[in-house]
Amino acid sequence: MTEQRRRILLIDDEEVVLDSCLAILEDGEHDVATTASGAEGLERARSWSPDLVFVDLKMPGMSGMEVLDALRALDPTIVAIVFTGFATIASAVEAMQHGAFDFLAKPFTPEEFRAMVRRGLEQRTLVVERAALRREREALRENFAAIVSHELRSPLAAVQQNLYVTIKELEGVVTDEQRQRLERMSSRIGDLLGLVNRWLRGFSVDLAPLKESFRPIAVADPLASAVESAQPEAVRKAVDLVVDVDPAAIVLGDAGALGEAFLNVIGNAVKYSREGGRVVVDASRRDAKVQVTVTDSGVGIPAADLPRIFDAFYRGRAGESGVAGAGIGLALTRRIVEAHGGSISASSDPGRGSVFVIELPAHEAPVPGPEETPPQQVSKGEAG
Amino acid sequence: MSERKRVLIVDDDPDFAAGIRAILDSQYDTVVAHNPEDGWEALQKDRYDLLCLDIMMGRGAEGVMMARKIRNDRVLREMPVLIITGLREQIAFLFPGQAVHPGFVPVDELVEKPVEPELLLQKAAALIAASEARRKE
Repeated sequence: MTEQRRRILLIDDEEVVLDSCLAILEDGEHDVATTASGAEGLERARSWSPDLVFVDLKMPGMSGMEVLDALRALDPTIVAIVFTGFATIASAVEAMQHGAFDFLAKPFTPEEFRAMVRRGLEQRTLVVERAALRREREALRENFAAIVSHELRSPLAAVQQNLYVTIKELEGVVTDEQRQRLERMSSRIGDLLGLVNRWLRGFSVDLAPLKESFRPIAVADPLASAVESAQPEAVRKAVDLVVDVDPAAIVLGDAGALGEAFLNVIGNAVKYSREGGRVVVDASRRDAKVQVTVTDSGVGIPAADLPRIFDAFYRGRAGESGVAGAGIGLALTRRIVEAHGGSISASSDPGRGSVFVIELPAHEAPVPGPEETPPQQVSKGEAG
Repeated sequence: MSERKRVLIVDDDPDFAAGIRAILDSQYDTVVAHNPEDGWEALQKDRYDLLCLDIMMGRGAEGVMMARKIRNDRVLREMPVLIITGLREQIAFLFPGQAVHPGFVPVDELVEKPVEPELLLQKAAALIAASEARRKE
C-alpha cells in the first residue's frame, strides 16, 4: 500500500501514559508524537497536522476541554479522543460535546488502545472524505448555473441567429401569418436568452472589478432609473409608485450595478403588489449610512421563506400572485449590495406586504460634476 | 463598383458560423474557419478585408490569443477585426474595466451573439470603410 503514514499526537502530562502508548504503537505503522501539555500539544498540532489526537482531560495548565475546542477551531477534520479516569466519565461525555469522537478510560489495555486508534483513524478517513465531498458539492453548486447557462446559451444563440437570417431571407416570400409565427419564435427565444443571460450575470460575473469604477453618486440617480424601468409594470397594474429620495444621500459606487440592484427590489415590490396597491421607495441618510427602503402592500413573504429569499434559485411558493421569475434577482441584488460594502434585509407581514432595506456606507464628499475627476482625499490641515 | 470584399469568419460553432455567413453572403465573399488554427492558415493564404472572430473557442478564450497574434503581425494588424462574443462580460473579464481593450486591434468592434442582421451588416461595412480610409492616408 502506498497509503500515506498516519500521524497520531498524544497529549498527556503523565509520562507513564505517553511511554506505554508509544510502546503499544511501536510497530512503526504510524508516526507518533507526544507532548506533555495542552499548549505544547496545540502547537504541535498546528505545525504537524495530525490525523488523530489523544488528549488527557485532566492536565495542569490548559485543560483537555480547552484543547478540544482549540483543535476543532484549528481543523475540524482532526479526530480527537480523550483519555479519562473512571471518576470522570461524566466529563468524558462533556468532552464529546466539545467535539471529541470517543473516550478511553484509564487504565486501558494495549488491545483497547489499538482498537481505539483503529476506530479513530477510520473516523478520520470518513471525516476527510466527507469534507472533500462537501467541498466538491459546493463548487458544483457555485458553478452549476454558469456551466448550464453556457451550455444553454450557445445553442439558443445559434438558433436565434439562424432565425434572424431566415426571417430576413423570407421577407416577401412568406405570408404575414407565417412571418408572425417566425417572429413569435424569435421573440420567445429572445426571452429565453435574456433569462439565461440574467443567470449568467448573477453567477459567473466577478463583481470585484466593479470596485475600480466606484465613484461618488447620489443614490437618487440609480433609484430614478430603476423606478423608470419599473413604472410600465406599475402603470399596468395600477400600482401607485411613490418615491421620496433625499438628494444628499451620496454613496461610493457603480450607478449601473446599483440601478440593477434597486430595480430588482422595486420590480419585485410591484410584481408582488395587488392591483391598485402602493409601493413606497424612500432613501435617506442615517448616520454613516444611506438607507434605501422599499415598502409594498402586496402579498408578503411567509416567515419560513424569509431567510432564504436572498439565496439563488429560491422562489417562495407562488402563493396568490402566481408570478413567474428566475429566483435570481435578489441573489444578484445581495451580491451587488455586498460588493458596495452594504447589506440588504427584508421583513414581511404575510398578506399585508413586505419591507426591503438596503444599507450602504454613506460617502462624505460632494458628488463631482460630470467633467470633474473624483476628488482626492484632502487632509484636514490643508483644507482648513 | 469595386470587387466584392472578402470576410473571414472564425467560430467553432458551425450553426452560428452558418448564421453569420448567411447574413454577410449578401454583400461579401465569405470564408468560414471552425478553429483558430484553420483561421490563421486562411489568413496566411489569402488577404481578407474583415475578420469576424468568436472569442470563446476551444479551451477558453482561444479567440483572444488569435486576435493578439494578429495584432502583433506586421501585415495582418491592418485588417479590421469584429469580435463576436457570447457575453459582453467575458470580454470585460478578459480586459477588466473596459468593454474592449483599447489597444486590442487597431480598429475593432464588439457585438453580442446573436447579432441582428442589420446591425452586423452595418458594423462590417463601417469597419471595412474605416480601414480603407486609413490605408489611403
